[in-house]
Amino acid sequence: MELLPEGQRNTAAEVLWEDQQKINKFSTLINKKDEQLEILEKLKTEKEYLDDLALEIELLDEDEKIQYKIGEVFVFLKVEKAVEKIEAENEKLSSQIDEIYETISTYDESLADLKKQLYAKFGNNINLER
Amino acid sequence: MAEFLKPKNTNPRGIPEAPFIEKVDTIVKNPESDFENVMKAFQERLQQYKYMELSKRQQLADLNIKIPDIEKNLDVISYIKEKKAEENDEEEEKIIETNYELNDTLYTRASVDVEKLDSVYLWLGAEVMLEYPLDEAVELLNERLRKNNEQLKIIKEDLEFLKENITTMEVNTARLYNWDVERRKKATKE
Repeated sequence: MELLPEGQRNTAAEVLWEDQQKINKFSTLINKKDEQLEILEKLKTEKEYLDDLALEIELLDEDEKIQYKIGEVFVFLKVEKAVEKIEAENEKLSSQIDEIYETISTYDESLADLKKQLYAKFGNNINLER
Repeated sequence: MAEFLKPKNTNPRGIPEAPFIEKVDTIVKNPESDFENVMKAFQERLQQYKYMELSKRQQLADLNIKIPDIEKNLDVISYIKEKKAEENDEEEEKIIETNYELNDTLYTRASVDVEKLDSVYLWLGAEVMLEYPLDEAVELLNERLRKNNEQLKIIKEDLEFLKENITTMEVNTARLYNWDVERRKKATKE
């Protein structure tokens, strides 16, 4: 909390229940968005790893066996098999990432809308920025 | 408890909804004597919500460990099944060769003959482990996964609800405070 600058008064318009609900909605959405962004970051790194891996693995001989992690153990797999698994994994990740982007953009829409309404009513008395 | 703090509604898990102040005047009737108490009651409620949020967060973190564990188990079983179903032209094909963690940071090799492998052992907790045929193990794990995911959904709902109530209480507190500042200003002017 900060104090208002000298001379400036809190001219707060009356806060109604519906305004309160909008404020609540705004704060939950911001939270949810942060959560999704965090997951997105993790998935993106994972995807980068997989992409690098897909390049590296090209250099190996098809019949060679490599250790691929399934669950908690490393299983010796033929490169060919491993490539299949990596591709499947990569596809799964891509669709997850797309999904998150979509969720975030719907959040952004609602957030922008709520922001407009709340600023219209409360002006400088409310701060919705980071 | 003060009248205005009595919950009108609760969420399905019985968490009370935060009161919303329509007009401060209706709650603080005698500012000189009541204000401090009302403010204190609100602060206490806010603390309770925050405490509840903390405990729910802990439950969420636990589930976020449990669920991937179950998924890993399912991955391994599905690989065993995949290997079993594989058409093999060579003899060695039906053997899964692994490098597994014998102890922390210590790995060693093991070969698993999938041909003869029809069951896995699942840790049920309380020092009990049971043998399950592959299909039944998958069923059991899927059921567990489903239950945990349900739990996860409920906890997320609760956290959202708590967050909303925390915001309401914070706004309430700010409004009470502003109201009191205005009141004092008026009082000194007079």
